[in-house]
Amino acid sequence: MANMVSFDRLSEEEKHARFMERIAAGEKIEADDWMPEEYRVALIKLISMHGISEIMGALPEKEWVPKAPTLRRKLGIMAKVQDEMGHGQLLLRVAEDLMKPYGKNREDIMQDLFSGDLKFHNVFHMPAPTWGDAGLIGWLVDGAAIITQTNMLHASYGPYARALQRICAEEVFHAQHGEAIIMALTEGTQEQRAMVQDAFNRWWESLLMFFGPAQASTTGSSKQDVTIKYNIRTKTNEELRQDFFSKYIPRALSIGLQLPDSTMHFDEESKMWVYQQPDWNKFKQIIKNNGPKSKERLRLRQLSYHNNEWVREALSPMNKVV
Amino acid sequence: MMTIEELHTNPAYQDALVDLLYQLADDDFIVAYRGSEWLGLAPHIEEDVAFSSISQDTMGHATMLYELLESIGEGDANALAHARKADERKNAILLEMVNGSGTYLQEPKYDWAFAVVRHYCYTLAKTIKMKSLQQSSFEPLAQLAVKINMELHYHLLHWKTWFTQLMKIPGESQERMVAAWDRVMKDMKGVLALGSYEEDLVKYNVMTNETQLMHSWMQEMQSLISNYHLPIEVRLKMNSGNGRLGEHSKDLEDALNTLSSVYRIDPTAAW
Amino acid sequence: MEAKKAFYQEYEVFSKRTYKSPFQHQFSLLAPNEEIAMVMAQENFMRREPVVDIWVVKRSEVRKLDETERFALQRLDNKQYRSTKGYGYLKKKWREYEQNMLDEKEILSWGGDGKQ
Repeated sequence: MANMVSFDRLSEEEKHARFMERIAAGEKIEADDWMPEEYRVALIKLISMHGISEIMGALPEKEWVPKAPTLRRKLGIMAKVQDEMGHGQLLLRVAEDLMKPYGKNREDIMQDLFSGDLKFHNVFHMPAPTWGDAGLIGWLVDGAAIITQTNMLHASYGPYARALQRICAEEVFHAQHGEAIIMALTEGTQEQRAMVQDAFNRWWESLLMFFGPAQASTTGSSKQDVTIKYNIRTKTNEELRQDFFSKYIPRALSIGLQLPDSTMHFDEESKMWVYQQPDWNKFKQIIKNNGPKSKERLRLRQLSYHNNEWVREALSPMNKVV
Repeated sequence: MMTIEELHTNPAYQDALVDLLYQLADDDFIVAYRGSEWLGLAPHIEEDVAFSSISQDTMGHATMLYELLESIGEGDANALAHARKADERKNAILLEMVNGSGTYLQEPKYDWAFAVVRHYCYTLAKTIKMKSLQQSSFEPLAQLAVKINMELHYHLLHWKTWFTQLMKIPGESQERMVAAWDRVMKDMKGVLALGSYEEDLVKYNVMTNETQLMHSWMQEMQSLISNYHLPIEVRLKMNSGNGRLGEHSKDLEDALNTLSSVYRIDPTAAW
Repeated sequence: MEAKKAFYQEYEVFSKRTYKSPFQHQFSLLAPNEEIAMVMAQENFMRREPVVDIWVVKRSEVRKLDETERFALQRLDNKQYRSTKGYGYLKKKWREYEQNMLDEKEILSWGGDGKQ
């Protein structure tokens, strides 16, 4: 390849071969570089879903921002939810640059969200009815997110890897913010302890679903093969779920929580956690925006989008008067 | 200069000071609460992030002020923020008003023009107060004012940018902004009001008087209006009542119910 | 629709962490104009770190290398004459004259009387 005269004159096959060479060598692909259509499409799907999930993920926690029980907790959860929005910003910027060749931008992402074409993560369709949920989301949902995101820190796509670098650094604060709320509750009154166990039970199935089904056949589609082929991530859904169990089950038990799945145990021979599968049909329904809070949260986003339409129209450089 | 230790030697000074501290703390607390309700609902994601920082800073200022009250014997800072009833609160009524119809969880129809105008007008007033308080005879407050003032530069720049841009664009944008301006003017005087201890505050050099505050505020605003050729006039009024005297609207009661809902489950528990 | 889409202009954000440090690229953001871009910059990308200065640059004003042009960045590893590497033998020579070599570390320490 070193004697190449012009990249543009290469055949598609040669471009593809060079692309695979670059990612095999650990080079990072940048936004304006040539990339296989399959790679671009997989990245757009993965990153726009990741980004919009951060934005939608701010909503269940946002519920608890004004209600947080002390001044310190009010500040902490505000900063945490702000970060979620911030992560959404970083990720959507990465997705938007990938969509540019199709003439799409953030406006289209929002429209895709409202039409149901762009899905958001299963956990953010669920209710968060108590302060215990606010803590549990911070601790375990963010914990699960850390597991999947750190798995992609070395992704072949440079802008995504760089966004994840920023995100994971902030997730460390999120995890500790969640742990702090949970520990204050488990070390507190009986009512406070019950609040945590209750939230744990409520979130258990969603946490299992978080990593997606082990095989594509379970739900009919999965991005995991393509993303592994192109060095976007390295571990399978099940490997990530097992990592999550290994890190968090012992911690949950140590602070006196009971596992919602009484059959769950670690199998010494296979070195795997054995657990009861969640209802994957329910999962399919949830991510199709048929979860308990899907409609309500979409409505919130839609309303804010429409209420502020005049601002975007007024400031559009196409209405140049300023 | 007055210190915390010497306060008890002058009860009149202490009464006036405590009243002022409640005004400052309650103003920041409730306006930061209103800001936090906006989280996730701003015109675009970048602004959501920026606005949230301002709400956090402001809640941080409220926290420092409640802690100062705690240190002069008014009780636990968290209780001061969460457990006081509406008629004990000293914030200006303008700052407790809802962001729009609906709640932050159900059908929020929030008005960005009102948010921009209210926050800009408030930040300008706060900046002027902090400037005066840097000379305060109460030393801990003078020091706090220096700190708070540091963060106000950004708040002011941020809101001024939105304010001047949206106010200048003819059509819907200007109409909404002028309408929001008129609404804010109707109660802006309440933000600059100093309550029933004004005389003592001035007498003991805790801070400057109300007339001076209003004069400075109007002067600053007037120069902005002429520099940017904005289609508005300054007319300070206090139509809805004087929050400094404990007069408040139902909006405040609703807000207090929400913001203390977890705290009230068990005020003695550690959260 | 087009007017609404145009609200989202792309800006690149650069910042300096300390007075001594060079500007560093942070990330990109969307804003309708550079004034709004400027008031978004710090809180979006530098919430937790010190900043002493910020630049925002409209993305369309940045001239970037394309993939072919980036080949122009390659060079051979035969340019020791440009660096101190090609003059390393001087150390031994100076030792013969019982002198120390004035190397990079020594020379760069001269400014400011050894104070940082």
